[in-house]
Amino acid sequence: MTNKPPGASTGPAGRKARPSAPTPEKLREDQLTGKQRHRHFFSRLDYKYSPYLYVAPFFILFALVGLFPLVYTFVVSINDWDLLGGAGEWVGLENYTAELSSPLFWNSLFNTFSIFLLSAIPQLAIATFIAAMLDQNLRAKTFWRMSVLVPYVVTPVAVTLIFSNAFDEKYGLINNLLQVFNVDPVAWKTSVFPSHLAIATMVNWRWTGYNALILLAAMQAVPRELHESAALDGAGKLRRFFSITLPSIRPTMIFVIITATIGGMQIFTEPKLFNASSSVPGGPDRQYQTTVLYLWDLAFNRGDFGRASAVAWMLFLIIILIGVINFLLSRKIASSGEKRAGRRPARRGRRAGKTAIPASGQDMAEARRRNHG
Amino acid sequence: MDITRTSRIAKAAAVAGSLALLATGCGGNNNATSEQPASPDNPITLTVTTFGTMGLDDLYTKYESENPGVKIQATNIDTGGNALTDWKTKQAAGAGLPDVQAVEEGWLGQVMTVSDSFTDLRDYGAGDIAGQWVDWKVQQATDDEGRIIGYGTDIGPMGLCYNADLFKEAGLPSERDAVAELFGGDNATWEQFVDVGKDYVKASDKAFYDQSGFVWNSMVNQLDEGYYKADGTLNIEGNTQLRERWDLLADAASNGLSSGQTQWDWGKGQAFVDGSFATMPCPGWMLGVVKGQIEGAGGDSTGGWDFADVFPGGPANWGGTFLTVPATSQHPAEAAKLAQWLTSADSQAAAFEVAGTFPSSLDAQQSEAVTGANDLTKFFNDAPIGKILANRAEGVKAQFKGPNDSVIQEQVFGPATIALDSGTDGQKAWNDALATLKDLDIK
Repeated sequence: MTNKPPGASTGPAGRKARPSAPTPEKLREDQLTGKQRHRHFFSRLDYKYSPYLYVAPFFILFALVGLFPLVYTFVVSINDWDLLGGAGEWVGLENYTAELSSPLFWNSLFNTFSIFLLSAIPQLAIATFIAAMLDQNLRAKTFWRMSVLVPYVVTPVAVTLIFSNAFDEKYGLINNLLQVFNVDPVAWKTSVFPSHLAIATMVNWRWTGYNALILLAAMQAVPRELHESAALDGAGKLRRFFSITLPSIRPTMIFVIITATIGGMQIFTEPKLFNASSSVPGGPDRQYQTTVLYLWDLAFNRGDFGRASAVAWMLFLIIILIGVINFLLSRKIASSGEKRAGRRPARRGRRAGKTAIPASGQDMAEARRRNHG
Repeated sequence: MDITRTSRIAKAAAVAGSLALLATGCGGNNNATSEQPASPDNPITLTVTTFGTMGLDDLYTKYESENPGVKIQATNIDTGGNALTDWKTKQAAGAGLPDVQAVEEGWLGQVMTVSDSFTDLRDYGAGDIAGQWVDWKVQQATDDEGRIIGYGTDIGPMGLCYNADLFKEAGLPSERDAVAELFGGDNATWEQFVDVGKDYVKASDKAFYDQSGFVWNSMVNQLDEGYYKADGTLNIEGNTQLRERWDLLADAASNGLSSGQTQWDWGKGQAFVDGSFATMPCPGWMLGVVKGQIEGAGGDSTGGWDFADVFPGGPANWGGTFLTVPATSQHPAEAAKLAQWLTSADSQAAAFEVAGTFPSSLDAQQSEAVTGANDLTKFFNDAPIGKILANRAEGVKAQFKGPNDSVIQEQVFGPATIALDSGTDGQKAWNDALATLKDLDIK
C-alpha cells in the first residue's frame, strides 16, 4: 500500500541535491547583471513558494466544501433552526441532549451498525475468497476480473430498485421462490432483521467485487518465492493461504476495512429507496432507518435543521472515533505482522541453508516498513 | 495512511456540509417591478413544478402556441410527499424554485408560515376573479394578512371506487345506484361500510379495501377538525371523535377487511387486477391514479372497476392543489398570468378530462366536458364521474391544516395503520401512535 504522496519520499532527496547547486552561483552573485538578478529572484521565489501554490487548490476546495460546512453545521446545531423559518434562538447543546435522549436516534444508530456488520463481515470474507480464486492461474484472466467489477459500475439507485422489487413482500421474486419451496414468505420490508439482511445484500452485491480486486492486487504483490519455498517445505494450498497470503495482505485488508466502515456508517441510498413508497423514510416503524437517513428526515421532513445538524455532528464524531480505533488497531497489527514476516523467512533460511530466501524476506519487511512509515 | 484520513474527513464533512450549504443559500430577490410582457422579441422561459397526475401537459403546449415568446419548462414529481420535500429544500435554500409552483392542500400549514415568500396574486388581479372558485378554496389560499397566494386547481371530493365483478361474485349488488344504496346512500356511515365489508369477506374470502391508510385519512379529513383544532392547537390525545373512528378501523382490519397493500404501490398495480380487494376510497384525482395502476399491470376497462355516488361518514375532501408564484420568480407577472390561465374554467375542464382532477372552478364543474363522457368515464364502466363528483362535493367543509399535519399523517398514523393491517390490535396501535407523536416532538 502506497498511501504516501509521492512528494514525501522524493522530497528529502530533492532537498539534499538542491542546496549544493546554489553555492557556486552565490560566489558569482555580485557579477550578475540587473536582468539576471531579476530572473534569479523569480526563480528563488518559484523554488520557495510554488509547491504551496500547487497544493493550494486542494486546501482551498477543502476549506470551501469541507471545513466551512463542518463549522457552519456546528453553528446550526447550537441554534433552534427551522428549515423554512431559518435561524431561531441560541440553545447551546440542547439539540444534542434532546437527540441523545431520543429513542429514534438510538434506533438509527442500532440500524446503522447492524447493517454495517451484516454487510462488512460476509463481504470481506467473500471478497478475500474471490481474490484468492482470481489469484490462481485462470484462463481469460481479464474477463473474470472485469466480471467481478460489473456490479460496482451499476448506480446504487438502479441496484436498489431491482433489489427492492425482488424483496417485495407480496409480489417479489424472492418470496415467490420461497413459496415454491413451501417456506413462509419473509417480511423483508416490515421486520427488522430481514430488512437489514436485504439491505446488506445490496451493499455486498455492489462492493464485494470492488474489494476483491483491491485484495487481488495485494495478493499479486506477494513474492512468488515465498509460495515456492513454502511449497518445497511441503505446505499445502490452504496452509500457504493462511500463513503467507493473509499476513502479507494485512495492510491492504486494513485499508479495505476502513473504507468499508466509512461507507457503512454513511449508508443512505439503499435504505432510502428500499421502500420508496413508505411514508416514513426507512420503513414504517423505522426498521431500517439509518443515521444519515434519520438526519435527512429530521432536516427535510420534520424541518428541524438544528437537531439534524446535531445528529450530523455526532455521526461525524462517531466516525472519527471508529477511525482512531481502526488506526490504533492497524498500527498494532501491522507492526506485529512485520515482526512475524521478518522472523519467518530467517527461520526458514536457517533450515534450508539458503541465503537467497532470507534476503528476499528482509526485502519484504523493508518494503512494508517503508509503506507504513 | 494520509489518503484514507483525508477521505474520512472529506466524507464526513460532505454529510454535514450538504446540509449547511443548503442552509446558507442566499435569499431570493424580490423584483415585482415593471416587467416587459413576453413576446417573440422578448422570449422568456417559465418553469412549472407539479406532482402526481394533474393533467396539465397538453395545456402547456396550448399556452405556448397562444402566447408566442413564452416557453414552458415543466417538471412533474411522482408523489405529493416527494414534491413537498423538493419544495421545502428549495424554499430553505432560497433558490431553485420554479416560476409556478403547485402546492398541495396538506402543505398549507407549512406554506402559511412563510406565506410572504409567495407573490400576492391580488397584485395581478386575483381579487377580481375570486368568485370563479368555490369559496372555501380561495379561503384556504388566503393568509392571515389577507394575501391570496394561490389559484385553486382541483379539489378532492370523495366517492367510492368498487369492483362490480367482485361484488357480483360475492352476491352483493353490483349496479352503481344499488351499490350506493347498499352503503346507505346519502346517510352512509363507516359502521355500515364495515358491516358490508364483513359480509363481503365472509362470502368471498378476499379483502374488502386495499389498506387502512386511505380509509383513515378519509375518516380524519371529513371531520370538522382533524389533527389540529381551528385555533392551531394539537387535537389528537383525548379526541373522542378520532378515537371512535380508530376503533372502528381496527375492528375492520382485525376482521380481514384490509388487503394490507403498500400505499401508492399496490404491487405495481397487480392488486387492482388480481382481485385482492374490491373497494377503495377515491377522491377525484385518484381515478387517474387507479387507471394508471391498472394499465401498468396490464389490465384495462374490462376489469370491473366502477365509481359509486356514495361516501361513508358524509361528504369528504382529500387534497386539492393550488398554483402559486414564489417571490423568487424573475417574471412574476407572466407567471401569474400562466397560473391564472391554467386554473381558468376551460383549463380546469380540460385537465379533468385527462386526469379526473375535479375542478374547483364553479363554471368548470357545470361544463359539458366535466359532466359528459370521456376516457375516464369509459374506463370506469361509463360512470358519470363528473356528475357524481359534483354531488360528492356538496357539503364539503374545508378543514384547518396545522403546520405538522402532513408529518402526523405520514409518520404518526401512517405506521399505525400499517400496524393495524398486519394484525396489531387497535389499542396498542393507538398507544404506539401517541408514543411516536411524543418521540417526534410535535407540538
